[in-house]
Amino acid sequence: MTGLQTPVKLPAQTELQTPTKPSRLWSTVFAIAVGAVVLVAGAGLKITWSDLPAMPGQIAHYLRLMFEAPNLEKLPRALFETWRSISMAWLGAIMCVVVSIPLGMLAANGVGPWWLRTALRGVFAVIRAIPEVIIALILLTVTGLTPFTGALALGIAGIGTQGKWVYETIESVQEGASEAVRAAGGNTAEVTRWALWPAAAPTLMSFALYRFEINIRTSAVLGLVGAGGIGSMLSNYTNFRQWDTVGMLLIVVVIATMLMDAVSGAIRRRIMEGAKVRDVARSS
Amino acid sequence: MTTGELAVPARPTNRFRTALIVAAFVAFTVATCIPAIGGIDLDVGAIVRNWRNGAGKMLQLLQPNFAFLPRTWAPMLETLQMALVGAVASAIVSVPITLWAASPTNPNSWTRITVRTLVNIVRSVPDLVFATVLVAMVGVGALPGVLTLFLFNIGIVVKLVSEAIDSSDHGYMEAGHAAGGTQLQINRVTALPQTWPLFANQWLYTLELNVRISAILGIVGAGGIGRILDERRAFYAYGDVSVIILEILVVVILIEIMSNLLRKRLV
Repeated sequence: MTGLQTPVKLPAQTELQTPTKPSRLWSTVFAIAVGAVVLVAGAGLKITWSDLPAMPGQIAHYLRLMFEAPNLEKLPRALFETWRSISMAWLGAIMCVVVSIPLGMLAANGVGPWWLRTALRGVFAVIRAIPEVIIALILLTVTGLTPFTGALALGIAGIGTQGKWVYETIESVQEGASEAVRAAGGNTAEVTRWALWPAAAPTLMSFALYRFEINIRTSAVLGLVGAGGIGSMLSNYTNFRQWDTVGMLLIVVVIATMLMDAVSGAIRRRIMEGAKVRDVARSS
Repeated sequence: MTTGELAVPARPTNRFRTALIVAAFVAFTVATCIPAIGGIDLDVGAIVRNWRNGAGKMLQLLQPNFAFLPRTWAPMLETLQMALVGAVASAIVSVPITLWAASPTNPNSWTRITVRTLVNIVRSVPDLVFATVLVAMVGVGALPGVLTLFLFNIGIVVKLVSEAIDSSDHGYMEAGHAAGGTQLQINRVTALPQTWPLFANQWLYTLELNVRISAILGIVGAGGIGRILDERRAFYAYGDVSVIILEILVVVILIEIMSNLLRKRLV
């Protein structure tokens, strides 16, 4: 009750009772540790860092060699090889999607039996871990140094990720429709056909096109190990040090990739968002 | 009308549109199978004839030669170093570029479009193509590898984070404007603290990607475990190759587990 008798004096300056700052010791220690690891890693690399200041000039020199006067002589050949890369990507995407949609569906919770689910998920994980290039190198012994090898490698290498996307999509579908089908007496196959597939199909189609976009980039990589296409051409002319041709090829790669991305992206948006509502002429 | 039958309206059909889509799909697929214009010769016969070669290789791969393991430590360490240095360097550089490329943080449309176009161009060049050209430019070794990862990561981080900033709610930035802050102050005080989690997320993702990519960069001479992978393959030492693949698999999984733990704490 003392407070009532002697009124509390306000301090001359209103001081806020700020809580003490939370300790930042551990985050600081962590940050210093990460910094130290990065520095050690950088120092451990066999790079003469003193050359680094000269780098921009050097790169500018090569960029000038490549893009000052791109050699258009080989352009028809480059377009031919670009189509070959796109073909590889497309057929690879088809193969990958055709295999991974049924397998991915079987790997989804509530569709396949548990042993099949575990086995399939294991297979997907292993395929994801193997670089495409290695798959291509094994396939080389079967189908030789042909673009067909590239398409097959893309088809197989993509199954890992694509299958994962498929079962994740199926699992994220709302429960309601499947419960309704089950309540109406449908078995698992019927649930898949009438509840899961209609709900997941747009997303799966969108992922299929996305696979095509990824494959376009990867097909250039496979070209480097000899599967043909624009990647092989690029690697050859880089080895010949014919920089003006390399410049032209890089321009072709960039334009082709951007073009395909734009087209495929537009189709994907159309699939996912549906048709734009057309303005119905209401007045006049 | 008999009872129990509903007057169901005719199902709407879209036969024409469906036919058009199927026709376009088939036409594109057929065009990709014509070797004369660059398409692919689907030589299924080769599989039937030569499948034993591939099966033989697979069989050899299934017998890993673990005695080779000690010789892979040094290149694997180099791969991890390249991955880390590339990721950190790109993380530092990606912050200003991202703020440049997002519209709420950079109202100047000219610089924004320029930066975005440049990033898109960088993004559309495949990683190994960068590596091939850079190896020819600066020589064999870890440097072209690090540069490749650096460029590749900047493309990913800038694209994903700037799009996230674009689509987020910018109420807090408007508050900054209303209080009379300059764009720089607004970016530093409001935009950056809001986007750190996005950045952290993408940086960790690029670190994971880098370990995967740098595993194969060595094939074109950009250093790391890929170099020894390519070397053993050239000697047809498939037992060694499979040990290296297993090692990459283990390291990738470990990095993923680590970055998932970190992500839970940071984001």
